[in-house]
Order: sequence, then structure tokens, then C-alpha cells
Amino acid sequence: MDIKKILVELSNTDGPSGYEEAVLQKIEKLIAPYVDRTWRNSMSTLIAEKRGNGKGKLGVFAHADEVGFVISKIEEDGFARIEVTGGIDPKVSMAQRVKIYTRDGATSGVIGFLAPHLQKEEDRKSMPHPDNIFVDISCSEKRVRVGDVSVPDVEACEINSKISGKALDNRSGCASLIWAAKMLQKIRNEWDLYFIFSSEEEIAGPGARTIAYELNLDKAIVVDVTHANEKVPGYPLIKLGEGPVLTIGPMVDKSFKDKISEICSRNGLKTQIEPAPIHSGTDADEVQIARIGISTTVVSIPLLFMHSPVETVDPKDVEETARLIAVVAAEMEV
Amino acid sequence: MLYLKELTEIGGVSGDESRVRDFIASKIKDKVDETHVDKLGNLIALKKGKKNGKRFLLAAHMDEIGFMVTNIEDDGTLSFSPIGGVDPRVVPGKRVKIADKVTGVIGYKAIHLQKKEEIFKVPAFENLRIYIGTDSKEASSKLVNIGDSVVFTTEYREENGRATGKAFDDRAGCSVMMDLIDNIDRYDFDVYFAFLVQEEVGLRGSAVIAEQIQPDVAIVLEGTTAGDNPEVPEYKWATHIGDGPAVTFMHRGYVVSSKVVQNIMSIAQKNGIPYQAKRRTAGGTDAARLAGTWRGVPSGVISVPSRYIHSPVSMIDLNDYHNTVRLVEKILDEGEVFFK
Amino acid sequence: MIETIRKLAEAYGPSGREEDVHRIILEELKNHIDGYKFDRVGNLIVWKDGKSGKKVMLDAHSDEIGLVVTNIDKNGFLRVETVGGVPPHPYVGQRVKFPQCTGIVYVEGETSQDMKKNFSNLSFDVMYVDIGASSYEEAQKVAPIGTFGVYDSRFMQNGDFLTSKAMDDRVGCAVVIEVLKRLNSPNNTVYCSFSTQEEIGLMGARVAGYDIMPEACIAIDVTASSDTPKAFKRHAMVLKKGPAIKVKDRASISDRKIVDKLIELAEESGIPYQMEVLIMGGTNAAAFQATASGIASATVSIPTRYVHTPSETVHLDDIKNCVNLLIEYVQKGV
Repeated sequence: MDIKKILVELSNTDGPSGYEEAVLQKIEKLIAPYVDRTWRNSMSTLIAEKRGNGKGKLGVFAHADEVGFVISKIEEDGFARIEVTGGIDPKVSMAQRVKIYTRDGATSGVIGFLAPHLQKEEDRKSMPHPDNIFVDISCSEKRVRVGDVSVPDVEACEINSKISGKALDNRSGCASLIWAAKMLQKIRNEWDLYFIFSSEEEIAGPGARTIAYELNLDKAIVVDVTHANEKVPGYPLIKLGEGPVLTIGPMVDKSFKDKISEICSRNGLKTQIEPAPIHSGTDADEVQIARIGISTTVVSIPLLFMHSPVETVDPKDVEETARLIAVVAAEMEV
Repeated sequence: MLYLKELTEIGGVSGDESRVRDFIASKIKDKVDETHVDKLGNLIALKKGKKNGKRFLLAAHMDEIGFMVTNIEDDGTLSFSPIGGVDPRVVPGKRVKIADKVTGVIGYKAIHLQKKEEIFKVPAFENLRIYIGTDSKEASSKLVNIGDSVVFTTEYREENGRATGKAFDDRAGCSVMMDLIDNIDRYDFDVYFAFLVQEEVGLRGSAVIAEQIQPDVAIVLEGTTAGDNPEVPEYKWATHIGDGPAVTFMHRGYVVSSKVVQNIMSIAQKNGIPYQAKRRTAGGTDAARLAGTWRGVPSGVISVPSRYIHSPVSMIDLNDYHNTVRLVEKILDEGEVFFK
Repeated sequence: MIETIRKLAEAYGPSGREEDVHRIILEELKNHIDGYKFDRVGNLIVWKDGKSGKKVMLDAHSDEIGLVVTNIDKNGFLRVETVGGVPPHPYVGQRVKFPQCTGIVYVEGETSQDMKKNFSNLSFDVMYVDIGASSYEEAQKVAPIGTFGVYDSRFMQNGDFLTSKAMDDRVGCAVVIEVLKRLNSPNNTVYCSFSTQEEIGLMGARVAGYDIMPEACIAIDVTASSDTPKAFKRHAMVLKKGPAIKVKDRASISDRKIVDKLIELAEESGIPYQMEVLIMGGTNAAAFQATASGIASATVSIPTRYVHTPSETVHLDDIKNCVNLLIEYVQKGV
């Protein structure tokens, strides 16, 4: 199994928020050979434990859910209305095929868009409002119901050695955890290590915070993705291919982050920096304040076109992120 | 006000409160039975009770609003972004301190050089820069780092019964607690003093307090908005400085129980301490977190009214400050009523 | 049941001041429960013991939206702010009931232009309350700053359509009461919370489950209904189709296993039901999910017309079927 294959396989497995089961099963199969045990908690989070010598508990988090849609109404004549699960820009949602998960299995739909010939002049000036978007389910052989979840119907591909597909937010994070576990298989870690694949991050759900509470962790690394190659005025430019990104801000324990930076420079691991003055927009915001508080850091994989069906990552960044996790886990309080 | 001047002048933005914490810890350590810094950096002090039964918690947050250095630009100036809610209109033309060591100024293009339309436009943070006297990225990188904290450099002053300075939200609350630690005796119940971190970025420090201390009741001490200036109609004021400590009945996400509000107000009345109800429900405090974590902690909020909070210069009335200390003292004297 | 709904809906219980509602609930439940307590923030928790060792929890919030007095002018007119999501329009020319007096709410405007502007951009900033006082002192005596008020509206019936203020969520409370009354020998121990301060941010529910940590929790609340002229087109919920099993709203996604179980039980027992995706709003289920190490939670809703107005309207059949469905769940669901 190479990292590109894992990325493609996870990207092509469907798991919108609240419905991550298929993804968790895939991940469990991939990581099981490298850990001591795996289990689920009451909130359907997957935990893979690699026991150490009990010196402390380190949790490494990657959310397993992706953004998607849910059918909110069935109209006449084979159409339906949708609601988004997570933040999706209408600009990347129009005119695409979607997969809909009905009670009888997966089926197809099309988010349709009126041809230019028939459009009114004023309508061309703006994107349709979410209330006016519809899914054409007349091509579906199975019965679609309110509450059925849906994702864009795309398969990942390689573009000049990068991987492009849906859900790389945060399947690339998940892939980095699996790869880190693989890298650690011959290493005996001092700290108890938990690889945590949590749910519902895209809707700011309770998946990560509840497992953080349950495990009573001492330290946490939250692995997610961040925007690459988009110059935001006043912020450093994060580049694809230049390594994992370390967040600095109130939700991060600065001394833990400084330790990680130091371990990285000793190991020839290049990192980038992302200032987050108030929120990180990741599960770290909730994990840090779980129970009696957890020393937390955020490590992000650079990603293009977040929350679109053409998200793109550089597998090198995913591997380096895995290497960062492995090296930090190996060096924890030795 | 032994401590108010020093407390307000220390730089301690959300996530970088260590200097405030060190100052408070150094002053209180010999006057309490235990102190402890938790995983998020909250400073928790305990004055043990004689009968070791119930637990009364007093809380105030140590952090102030400020900024983070988000980028070092090619010309040596620093880009920055607010930590906490800061209106960009109070920012240009101010002196700041970065990482507690480097002085800088937030300038703006001179009015002479601006087009007419620009003069009244609201500045955007992404266009503002801190100048630290260098002219290259390399030179600035030797002095500061991305992620460094930035604070205003306002000095504390007392004049005409009023005090002006920065960060009365919530160094006033911290100062009230430090005065109480100096003054109070031992009660039957334990009194916990929690000096909290990161309130301004989402009530974060208080989120881990209830699980640790497990208090029976809490009172949050804040520096709250006033709004009493000539541009705001009277019915929109939150408080009027000089009318006494403000007692909150409701704020964002939380309604204080009528029992707690009544108890606070009747203790004030009984002891002839002036007080006012806070008259706007906007804004939130750590009370919402305390009531909404662990098993829930019934919490009240008492504030020193403060004009112009979240800006470089705020103002409080010193009588309000003293009356706040008095009120909380009397509340502790009658603490048992809060446990019923 | 109608009489219980009427008593509860007409009771005074704005967020943070739910005592009267709790009193009525306890009267109704006398001899039907094994115990009750008020937790530290005023949630009313009741229970009925079962034999299985497992715990199921039902929640209905006891508070309603309202107004709170924030200012009294020298002529005795009051200014108010909202408690929860209160639309200003239903209050214009209508009455607000305070514990000791009732006031009329109206809009200010010194010129006809001002009046027009205020009406088209209505908010409580430009509204005031007249309690028939002529001075600050007079008003102070009966409605001091910090006094809470609710819609002054009476219960009425049009056949099986029941209308009143505060059906959100007194109808939920009534459903839970009826479940407890009809539950003779529960298999599982059933805890019911009549929680506080939901309308201002799910406050009571954040802690109501902490000491109980049940296997599952179902919040019973109202949801929108789209069976009126030109109603919101993305919603599928309507009156008379049965209780709505909620898949998603803006605060949470219902636990998938609970949703599937509810569907299974409804179909087995021939209880009519509908599926729900709500585009706006949230329920206490979100707060229970995030409690400690997590409580698997879902919402079952009563479709309601005119939510957050003085004339919230529900249908008796939906209420009865909701009771039936919940009895099935508490007996067989965990």
C-alpha cells in the first residue's frame, strides 16, 4: 500500500458528517496491523491504540467525515431539494452528479443547471440561492427519501503527482495517521498513543471533544487541512509541497508546539506556520478545553480548493505529516 | 487600589497571560492556602474553609484584547489581526508593544495624502501595519516572530475620582479578587479564586474550571460596558458609571437565577451599597461556561462599569470599584444563603 | 391530554424563570414517577425505574421565548430586549404578560417617514411597552428592570388543531408526561428532563445528562411545518403525517442508529411518521451529544405552524402518535 493508493481509496469512500461508517471500516482495516487494538465509542468514533509504557496519553486526531448534502424535500416529477452538511460554496456545487444513499443502497442524482439559452438576463448575474437549487432524481432507480445523505459523485485522480478528489479534507489527515502508525510499527513508544478518527467535524459536532473527555488525554495533536496557494492579505502564504503547517494561537499550547518545531528541525522536517488569532477552525478548538484541559497542537496538510470535489494535496506533504507524527510520538518523554 | 495600576499596565493578551499570572501569583501566594496553575494556564487559589463543606468560587479573567503578529512583510512592517473583539476604528495612530519587548506604532497615511472618500472609510485590519523602525523583512525577523502578542501601551492614571487606563475588562475583576484576598477572613466554606485565561476568545479558560474545582456557586467579576455617552440615548446604556457595581440578570446564552440576583441585590440594599442592574443583555461572560459545564454551577455576575472597553483607553469610577469590593465582601459574609 | 397541553402552554415560563411550569409538571406526574430532583441549574429531572439496568432519557424544554425589561423611562414606558429568537412583528399592538401586569407593545415614530422606516425594519430598538404607568416609580413597582414577560395569548382549538403560545416546547413536555403516565412497567429506567433555558442557547441541557449518562437520549421539540400557502419550499414536514424523526438541523445530526431504530419501531407498530431535515434552528439533542464522553442523541419533533408566534399550531394526531412512538422506543429501543 503506498500513500497515493490510500489517499485515493479513502477519497473514494463516502462518509458525510454523521454517516462515516464506511470510511471508519476502511480505516480500521488499514491501521489494524500496526496497532494493539481498535474500538468504537458511544459516538461512533474509531480509536486505534498503540500501547506505550504508560508515561502519558497522546491523542492524534483526524476527522473522518466530509462535507456533503442531505435530501430535505422530495418534489413532484422526480426532483428533490437539498441542505448542505458543512460549508459548501454553491459555485462548486452546480451541474454535477451526486451519489445519494437511500435505504435500498446508493443511487444517482444530478444537481442540474439551466442552459444559457433559456436563462433570464438578471439571473446570470449571481449564483442561485440554496433555496432555489434542486437535485434531479428522475435517473434514480431507487426510492429517494427525506434524510438520505449525498456526496458529489467523483473519483480521485492523479495530476502531475498530486492527488485530486473529494473529501481530501480530511481523508489526507486520516491517511497521515495510518501512515504514521505504519512508520511506528517497529518503535516502542513511551507514551500511550491513540489514533482517533472522529465524526462530524464539518458541522462543529461533538465527535472529537467527547472522546478527548473519555480518554482523559494529556496531550493532543489535531491533524486537519489548511488552505494552500491562496494569498490572504496579512498572512503568510502556505504552499503545497512545502511540508506540514503548524498553527500558532490561543488554542495551541505554545510550549508543545515549540517542542514539535524543535523535533522537526532536528529531523530535517520542513514545516510552515499558520497564525490563528481566535479560532483554528479545527477540532482543536474543542479538544483543548475538554474536561480539565489538554495541551493541544494543530498540524495541517496544505490543500487546494477546500470543500470542493477537486480538492488537491501533495502526497509528499501527507508523508511528511505522518513522519512528524511518528517522530513526535516516538520522542514523547523518552 | 493597590494592584489596579500594575495589573492594567501588564501586557497579557488571550493565550499569552503568563506575565499577568506571575504578578498575581507573586502577590497572593502568602495569603492563601494553596495555589495551582492548571493545564490551560488558569491560576487557581484556595482559602480553605473552617468546616470544609461547600465551595464558593470567585472568577475573573486575566486576558485582555489585543493582536497577533500574522506576517512580517517585505518592507519590515508587521501585519496583525485582532485577538478578541476589537473595532478597527480604535486602532490607527496608537503605540503598541510586541512580545513585551519591542515598541511599535500603528500608523496611517497622512490626511494630506488621502483622497476625500478615504477619510471617513472604516480601516480594514488587512490594510493596517505596525512599524517597528526597520525597513526589511530580515531586520524585523531578528526582532519579532509571527505569532507574537501585541498590546496597547496605555498607562494608568487616577484623576477626579476616576481611573483611566487599558484592560479594565477584566483586570478590574482581578484586582477586586486580589483586594478580597487581602481583606477577608476565613469562612465556614472554601473560597476559590480563579484567575482565568482566554475569556476574550470564547470563554475558554472557564470551560475547564467546573470539572476541577466543582464549586457549589460562583460569582464572576467583570469589567462591563457602560455606553453612557452623549451619542447613545439613555435607554440604550448598559450601565452608568458612578451608579455602583452592576448586577447582571441576563446576558448572551445565560439567564441568572432569580434567587442569585435577589440575594445579591438584597445584600447590597441591607448594607447600603449602591448598585445598578445591567440594562443590556448583550455580551457574555464566563458565567455561561460555569453554568453549562460539569453538573452546572449556578453563577452570578457582578461588574465594575467601564466606559470604552475593548479600546486603548477605558474609564472607571473609583467609587464603583470600591463598592464592588465591598459588595463581594458582604456577599461572602452571607455566603451560606447562596448554598440553599 | 388536551387539558394538560392547555395548562402547560398557558403557563408563564420564559427562559430562566420556569418555576411555574415545573410546578404544573410535577402535579401532573404525581403517582406516575419513582422520584424527581432539581439539578444545580434548575432542570427538573424525573425518573421511572426499570429492570434492565439500561437507561433511556427523554428531554423537553420547559422554557419559552419572551421579553425582558431593560429600561423604564421617566413617563413609565418600558424598553425590552428579547429572550430567545423573538420576532418583533407578532408583538406590534399585542400584549406582553409580566408576572404582575400586562403591557401593550408598540412602535415609535415621530414622523410618518420614521414610522414607515421602523415598520419596514422592525426591531425592539424602536419599540416600547405601555403598562399604564405614568412615572418611573409607578412602573418600577410592578415591572422593575430584569422582569421577564411572555406572549399574552390563550389556548384555542379548531377541531384537532390546537393553538397557543409556547407549544414550543410545552407540547413536548405534555408528550413526555403522557409517556410516563402510560408506561406501566418500564423495561429500562426512564429519565426525563424538563430542561431550562433552551431558547437562549441550550443552556440547561448542557448539564442535564451529566450525572445520568444514558444509553440514548431523545429530545422532543417542535419543528417547522410547510403545509400553509407558499410555505418554505425546502422543508418536507407537515401536520397530520405523524411525529417527525429528525435527521439534521443547524445544531446537530441525530445519531444514525437511533434514527434507524425509530423508523424500524414505527413501521413495525404501524405508527405514522415523517422524516425531517430542518434548515434552521437546533434542539437540546446537540447539548446532550456534547456532554462529557458523549450521549448518543436524536430529536423527535412535533410539526408546528407559526413557530415563535402567539399562535403556534399543532395537530392532536401528531402528538398522540409521538407518544406512541416514544413508548415503543423507551421499551424496545436500547
